Amino acid sequence: MSEPVIRRPVAHRPVTRMPVTRLPVNGRTAAAALSAAGTTARTRMRTAMRSAIPGLVPQPVPAGVEAKVRRRNVGADYDTDWARTYPARVARALLVEGVVRPVMSVLADPTITGTDRLTDASGPMVFAANHHSHIDTALLVSSIPEPWRHHLVVGAAADYFFANRVTAPLSALVVGAIPIERQKVARRSAQLASDLIDDGWSVLIFPEGGRSPDGWGQPFRGGAAYIAMRTGVPVVPVHVEGTGRVLAKGSNLPRRSSTTVTFGSPLTPADGEDSRRFAARIEAAVAALADETTTDWWQARTRAHAGTTPSLQAPSQGAWRRTWALGDRGPTRRSRDAWPRLSGDS
Amino acid sequence: MRALVYKRKPLRFAAAVAAGRLAPGAGAGIGPLSHDDIDPPALPGPDWVRLTPRLAGICGSDLATIDGQSSRWFEPVVSFPFVPGHEVVADVVGDDNADGTPHRVVLEPVLGCVTRGIAPVCSACAAGNLGNCTNITFGAITPGLQSGYCCDTGGGWSSEMVAHRSQLHRVPDTMDDLAAVMVEPTACAVHAALAAGIEPGATVVVQGAGTLGLLCIAAVRRFTAAGTVIAVAKHPVQREWARQFGADMVVAPDEVARAVRRATGTMAVGDGHIDRLAGGADAVVDCVGSSDSLTTALSVVRPRGQVTVVGMAGATRLDLTGLWQREIRMVGAYAYGTETLADGTTARTFDLAFDLVAAADLGRLVSATYPLDRYRDAIAHAAGAGARGAVKVAFDMRRPADRTADAARRSAIPASTQPGAH
Amino acid sequence: MPRPGFVLDVDRSTPPVLFHHGEQLRLEKLPPGRSRIIYPAEPLAALDHPDAAIADALANPLGDSEPLAALLRPGMKLTIAFDDISLPLPPMRRPDIRQRVIEQVLDLAAAAGVDDVMLIAALALHRRMTEDELRHAVGDRVYDAFAPHGLLINHDAEDPDNLTEIGTTERGEVVEINRRAAESDLIVYVNINLVAMDGGWKSTATGLSSYKSLRHHHNVETMEHSRSFMDQHNSELHRSNWRMGKVLRDSGIKIFQIETTMNNDVFGTSGPMSVLQKREWEWTARDRLAVGAMKRGLDVMSAKARRQVFHSWRAPHAMTSVQAGEVEAVHKVTTDNVYAQHLVPVSGQTDILTMGLPYIGPYNVNSVMNPILVMCLGLGYFFNLYKGQPLVRAGGVVIMSHPTPWDFHPVHHPSYIDFFEQVLADTTDPREIEKRYEKQFAEDEWYRHLYRTSHAYHGVHPFYMWYWGAHALSHLGRVIIVGGDRAAVDRLGFTAASTLRDALEMASDTVGPHATITHLHNPPILMADVT
Repeated sequence: MSEPVIRRPVAHRPVTRMPVTRLPVNGRTAAAALSAAGTTARTRMRTAMRSAIPGLVPQPVPAGVEAKVRRRNVGADYDTDWARTYPARVARALLVEGVVRPVMSVLADPTITGTDRLTDASGPMVFAANHHSHIDTALLVSSIPEPWRHHLVVGAAADYFFANRVTAPLSALVVGAIPIERQKVARRSAQLASDLIDDGWSVLIFPEGGRSPDGWGQPFRGGAAYIAMRTGVPVVPVHVEGTGRVLAKGSNLPRRSSTTVTFGSPLTPADGEDSRRFAARIEAAVAALADETTTDWWQARTRAHAGTTPSLQAPSQGAWRRTWALGDRGPTRRSRDAWPRLSGDS
Repeated sequence: MRALVYKRKPLRFAAAVAAGRLAPGAGAGIGPLSHDDIDPPALPGPDWVRLTPRLAGICGSDLATIDGQSSRWFEPVVSFPFVPGHEVVADVVGDDNADGTPHRVVLEPVLGCVTRGIAPVCSACAAGNLGNCTNITFGAITPGLQSGYCCDTGGGWSSEMVAHRSQLHRVPDTMDDLAAVMVEPTACAVHAALAAGIEPGATVVVQGAGTLGLLCIAAVRRFTAAGTVIAVAKHPVQREWARQFGADMVVAPDEVARAVRRATGTMAVGDGHIDRLAGGADAVVDCVGSSDSLTTALSVVRPRGQVTVVGMAGATRLDLTGLWQREIRMVGAYAYGTETLADGTTARTFDLAFDLVAAADLGRLVSATYPLDRYRDAIAHAAGAGARGAVKVAFDMRRPADRTADAARRSAIPASTQPGAH
Repeated sequence: MPRPGFVLDVDRSTPPVLFHHGEQLRLEKLPPGRSRIIYPAEPLAALDHPDAAIADALANPLGDSEPLAALLRPGMKLTIAFDDISLPLPPMRRPDIRQRVIEQVLDLAAAAGVDDVMLIAALALHRRMTEDELRHAVGDRVYDAFAPHGLLINHDAEDPDNLTEIGTTERGEVVEINRRAAESDLIVYVNINLVAMDGGWKSTATGLSSYKSLRHHHNVETMEHSRSFMDQHNSELHRSNWRMGKVLRDSGIKIFQIETTMNNDVFGTSGPMSVLQKREWEWTARDRLAVGAMKRGLDVMSAKARRQVFHSWRAPHAMTSVQAGEVEAVHKVTTDNVYAQHLVPVSGQTDILTMGLPYIGPYNVNSVMNPILVMCLGLGYFFNLYKGQPLVRAGGVVIMSHPTPWDFHPVHHPSYIDFFEQVLADTTDPREIEKRYEKQFAEDEWYRHLYRTSHAYHGVHPFYMWYWGAHALSHLGRVIIVGGDRAAVDRLGFTAASTLRDALEMASDTVGPHATITHLHNPPILMADVT
C-alpha cells in the first residue's frame, strides 16, 4: 500500500507506530487502548504545533500570581444548554426531519415496531437501547415517536463526541447530545440528565457504554436505571437490530441495509429493586425484544417466562473462539495502519 | 313515382359515414339517400307484378346502410341505385278482390333462384331455405340479396315497386297493416329462435330489446320450450315490452353476467365482480351484433353452448379464445326459409311469423309512421327508437282515405309512452 | 364530569341541527313547537390505566370462574376468539382493545407454558377480515407470531370439517360452532361491547356458529318479536342466544368471557371532526366555520374522495370498563356499563322520527354503504335503539337522511347486488323474501366460495339486513329518505324526498299536519329509554 500524500509535521513521523496487538481480550479493552493511543497522539501534535508557531505558545504566568484556572470546555464539561434553546431546537427538528430521517430511511430502511406500547405513556422517559453502531443514534433520534422525538437529549460519550470544539457543538446541535462520562462514576453526567428529565426532557442512553465491537452485546451499566430511579420516570427498553451491517464499528463507509427498531413497554422499578437489578431487568427486556425481532412475539414471551431468552451478550464459554473468529475483520485491524490515529476511536 | 333512392355517391357516402358516427341516423340528411321522383321499375318477367306499398318498415340494416356503417361485404350483393325497404305490406296492382279492393300482401324480400329465373334452382332454394340461396348475384335481375337492395325491383320506401309472385304472402283480412308490416321482421326472429339450438328447459339470454330482440323473445317463448329467458334491455319501455313477451328477467347490459349466474347458479370468475362465468347460459341470442355484445355473449354462455348472431355484426374485434377453449358454437341467423319444429313438422318461416304476429298482437310494436317526404324525421326516430320509447318506425304510403282508420287505431297505441295498453 | 344525554325541545331560537348524511352533512331547521332532539351523553371518562384494568379483570373474574392464570396449564388447548371488523364503529385508534386484551391473555398463557393456542376472528357470516384489518385488531406482534403458522384465522361457517354440532335447545334450535373452539379446553372470548345487543352468549353462539345454527334466531319471526333487540329483557334474539348458551355450558365447553365497553368519543374532543359531537348551540364561530367548510369541501369532492376521507378516520374512543369471567355474570355488568353511556330517558312516543344516517354501519367498514345497508342502519339499528317502547308510534313515520347511492362493493357484498336486483325488485315483504329466496341465496355455491376464500359477506347476509328492519317495517306507516337516489329508494319500497321540508310534508299525509317530531341525534350512539 502506498503512503497517502498528506502533509504532516515532520516531527511526528517516527512517533507512534502502534504495536500489532492481535488478540485483545475483549472489545472494550481494545477500545480503551485505542482511545488512549489517540489521546497521546493528539497531545503530541498539539505540542508540536505550538512549538512550530511561536504566537501560540502560552506566556508563562508570572511568579506570585495565582494561575488562572483554564476551564476545560470540552469533554464532560461542555455546556450544552445553548443546544436546548428554542432556535437550536427548531434547527435540530429541521435537521432531524429534513436530513437525518430521509438519510436513515434510505440507508437503514428501518422497520419501527412496538410504538403502540407507548400509547398510554406520557411525560419524560429514559430510552435505553443496545448499541452497535454510530448510526444507532441517528436512527433512534429519527424513530423515537412523538411527542418524545423533539424533546430528547442523547447521552453521548464525553470522551468521544465532546472531545473537541468541532464535534462537541455538532453533537449537541444535531442529535441533542449531552456529555456522559463513561470511564468513571459520573456524578455530573447523572445530575445533568436528572435535571433535564425534571425539565421535561427525555433521555436516550446506551447503557452498554459503547458500541459493540463484534455484534454481541455488552453488560448494561447502571446509568439508565439509576437516572430513572432517581427521577421516577419509566425506562423504555429499545432494541436496535441491523445497524451493525450498515456501519459496523471500525468501518467508515456505510452500506445500505435494513434495520429494525423495537420499542418495549415502559418499565418502572419494582418495590425494593436496586438500580443494579433494575438494570439487569432492562437488559432482559431488551434481550426479549431482540428475541421478538429474530423470532416472534409469542416465542419471545414464552422464553421470557421460561427464563430462556437468549442473552444479548456472547456466551461466556469459548469467548476466545469468538475473538479468534473476528480475526482480521475486527477493530484490531486498525492497529496495522501505517499512520497513527490522530483522533480517538472508541 | 316518389321514392327514397340510395345512389352510389362516394362523397356523400363519406359524409354519411362521418355523420353516422356522430349521431345515429344523421346520415339521412347528407348521405347518398334522397327523396326523388323517378320512373317506376319495369317488370323483369312474366311472373312479376306491380305493388303499391302501403307500409314499409325501417330496419336496423337500413339504418346502418344510411349511416354508411354497413360492412363492405354487402357491396357485391347489392346494385345501385336502389330503393330501400324490405319490410313491406303492399297492394298488388291488378289483383283485386270481389269487392274491388286489391289483394294485400306481405313481401318475402329474399331474391332467390326462382325470382332470378334460374333453373334448376340451387340446393338451398330447393330445400326451401331461400335465405341461403347461392345465386343472389346472378340470373335475370341485377345483384341484390333482397328487394330493397336491388336496382331492378325497387323497394318498399316508394309508391311503386315490382315483385315476383313467389315472394308474396297474402295478408288475412283480419290482420291490419300495422300487424302485417311486422311479419317480415317477425319471420327473422322466428328463424333465429329456431336456429338458436334451444333445448327444453334451457336458459336463454336475448341481447338487445329493439324490434328484433323483442320479437326474438316472443318467438323463443312461442316456438321453443326454453326455461328461463333473460332479456337484456337498456330503456324502460323496452324492459316493459320484454317482460310482456315472456322474459323472466330483464336486466341492463352490464348486469347480464350476474343475472345469468343467478339464474344458473354457476360459479363465476372474478372476486365478487364477474369477469366471466364458469358455466353459463345454454344459448345466447345476440340481436345487437356489436363487439361489446358479442364479448358479453361469449362470457356468459356455457361451454358447448351456442351464441346465435342475429343482429348484423359487421367488422368486429373479438377475443375468440373463449370460443376455442370452451367449444362454444357461434352461428349466424339470417332471414328465413323453412323451419323444422320441435315436433318434427316443417313450415315456412313466414307462415309461423303470421301466426306469431296474430297471437302476440305484434302490430302494437309499430310506434310511429311517417310519410316519405318526412324521411329524415322518420330515420332519426327509428335510429333513436329505444331512447325515445319507440320500437318500430315505418313509412306510410297509403292514400289519405285509408289513413283515417289507421290513424285512429294508432292513437290508441301508447307506443311512445307506456306499452301494454292492449 | 361528562354531561348526560337529554331531550331538547325545539323553539324558534334553536339553531339548525346537524344531520349526518352518509359521507356528507346537512344542517336542518326543525319545526319549532312540535319538535324535540335527543342528544347523547358526552363521552364517559376512559380508564386511566387500561392495561392494568385488564390485568385486574383477568385476575379477579366475575361469577363462577377462577382467575384466568389458574385456568391455564401446560399441554392444554386454548382458543382465543375475538370480535370482528364490525366492532367498534368507527374502527378505533391503535392499539385496539382486542390487542391489549389478547396480548395479556397470551402473556399469561406463555407464563403458564401453554403451547397449543389458536386465535379465531368470530365473524359468523360476516366477511373474512383482511390482513390489515386483523393486524389492526390484534396488533402486529400477535399477527406476526400466529398468522404465518395458520394459528390466527377467520372463522369459516361453511367448513364442514371444522364445525361441530353441540346439541339442540329445548326449542329445537341446533347449536353448531367452530370445532376447534368446541374441542378446546378453554375458549377465551375477547369482546368489544359497542351496543347493548353485543356480547354475552351471542359472542360464541353467534360469532362462532354456522348458518344452520344462526337461522334459528336470524329470521323474521325472531326479529319481529325482539322489541327491541337492543333490550335484552324484551329480545327474542337474546333469549335464543341464551338458550344456545345453556346448551354450550351444559356440554362442558368452558368459556372465559372478557367484555369491554367503550365511551362514545367517536369524533374526538379536539381536532377536525370534534365539532360533530358538540351540541349545536354551543358551536363557536370557529366551529360554525369548520362545519361550513367541511360541508362545502365534501360537496365538491368526488364520492370516492369523500369515502376515503371518512373511512380513514380512526376514532379516539376509549375503554370505560373491562370485566372477565363467567359469561352471564360478566354480561350483566357489561350491559350496565353500556347503558351508563347510552341511555337517555325520553318520555312518550312521537309521530315522526328523524335520523341522519352516518357514513358507517357494522357491515361497511372500509366498504360501501349500499342501499340495503342504509335500510338496515336506519330501520334495523337506529330504530331499535330503544328500551321500553319504540320512539315512534305505531303507524308513524321515519325520515332518514342518506344519499343512498345505487352503489355496491362487489368484493364485500356480491350477494347484496343480486338481492337488490332480483329479490327487492320482486317484493320487499320480509316474510315473502324469507320464504321464497333465502334458501337459494344461502346455498349458492358461488357466494359460499367468495365467503370462504375472498372477503365477501355470506350469501344470506343481505336477508338478515332486511330482517333486521322487519320490526320497523311492520311498525311504521311510512319511510322517507331525504336526499336519497330515487331509483334506489324506490327499490327499497320507500319514498325519496329532496329536502327535509318535503319529507315532513309527505309525512303529514300519514300522520297529519301537526305531528310531533323527534330527532335522534346519533352518532355518537345513544339509546332512548322511552316511558
